[in-house]
Amino acid sequence: MENEERLVEENRICKTGIEELDIQLGGGIPVGSTVLVVGSSGSGKTTLCMQYLINGANQGERGVFFTITEPLFKLTKNMEGFGFYNKKLIESGMVNLIDLRIISERLGLDTEKYTVEDASALLDILRDIADELNVKRLIIDSITALCYRLQTKEMIRDFIFKLGSSLAAMKCTTFLTSEVPPMTFQYSQYGIEEFISDGIIFLGDYERKGDLLRTFQTVKMRGAAHSRSKSAMVISAKNGIELVPLLKSRE
Amino acid sequence: MANILIDGLKERISNAFKINQSIGILLPGNNYSDLLQAIFEHIINQPEDAWIYVTVAKPYDILLKQYSFLPDANNIKFIDCISRAAGILRSDPNCVYIESPTMLEKIGLEIMNMFKEVDEDVKKYLILDSLTNLILYNDPGIVTEFFYHIVNITRVKNIHTISLAIEEEGLEKHLNRLIYLNDKILRVRDSFI
Repeated sequence: MENEERLVEENRICKTGIEELDIQLGGGIPVGSTVLVVGSSGSGKTTLCMQYLINGANQGERGVFFTITEPLFKLTKNMEGFGFYNKKLIESGMVNLIDLRIISERLGLDTEKYTVEDASALLDILRDIADELNVKRLIIDSITALCYRLQTKEMIRDFIFKLGSSLAAMKCTTFLTSEVPPMTFQYSQYGIEEFISDGIIFLGDYERKGDLLRTFQTVKMRGAAHSRSKSAMVISAKNGIELVPLLKSRE
Repeated sequence: MANILIDGLKERISNAFKINQSIGILLPGNNYSDLLQAIFEHIINQPEDAWIYVTVAKPYDILLKQYSFLPDANNIKFIDCISRAAGILRSDPNCVYIESPTMLEKIGLEIMNMFKEVDEDVKKYLILDSLTNLILYNDPGIVTEFFYHIVNITRVKNIHTISLAIEEEGLEKHLNRLIYLNDKILRVRDSFI
């Protein structure tokens, strides 16, 4: 515990603020990591990212959430029901919500497919925003939707690598959400994202007697002695995301 | 006859609670209502203790109707695992509703979350009603794992556990295996009281 506090003080680990997750990670995520949060629709990716961001803001770490998949009004409306949501953090600028599609439009980028120059311009603006706001936590929801606009695998690799490197230099810990089809064990649509990321968190489903339970598993986290055990993930309005050991008896 | 039965049960339950960390109560179905009556009367007579009652057998609403003194009790909260599955949509500040009795991990989490809100120095009790019903909705293996988990974590947290098992044909093997995880077993028989 003392060691963990020292690492937080030394700015070496970033506590997610989700108690059970921080325990599983041996204290938190190594600062500057790029973590891929993988899951199908409804698996809890956005909620996990938002809770991580708000918990950080409560600890004095500024954050930014770039959304591509849903408009800001929908995002905030969905989050208002959670106990962790705090409108004041948004009003005070500790948590910044930005619609990436609007930025793309303002930059005059093609909304469907990016050229190499477009991707470079977008990367610059993301880095500038992170730098200007001095954010320590950054979310892109989703990297899949962004990668869809990048035309080759090389562009995807280059984009994520450069983004991750720049943010790591700023000591900013980044979550990229990755959309995958339900009930599959793949980490990304393009098969590249996971290799450039420092960490992979896999949010899955588990069917028990016809009911779907959410599951959580840290597949990879460079620089952390983390658990790879599968947990049950519970999302409630009161507490947001909570993890408990998954019962594993054969059914 | 019923009053004698309830009084006898109350005394046995009360004595067992004083000594043991976890108690399993095995009973025939026809004594079930009397046992609940005895347990709830015991609870309202211990207002300084905190109780959490997990119901997999009867919806919370039915319990409130059957035991009319329950709404006045301030020392008991409920986790209802059956109403939602039965299509009963209701909310109550005194009760947490779980979507389905198959959501065992969520049941465990809610138990611990509710106890977190209770002061450290208050005596804490958990009632699981019942192991039989959990087995009806889940495979016995996973109920055993769940119950192991609950018994262990409640022991660590100094919470007393009372688990009910209603005898049912075909389930004896599983119920016996589960009930013996407790420190003390009470077998309820009309003739013994």
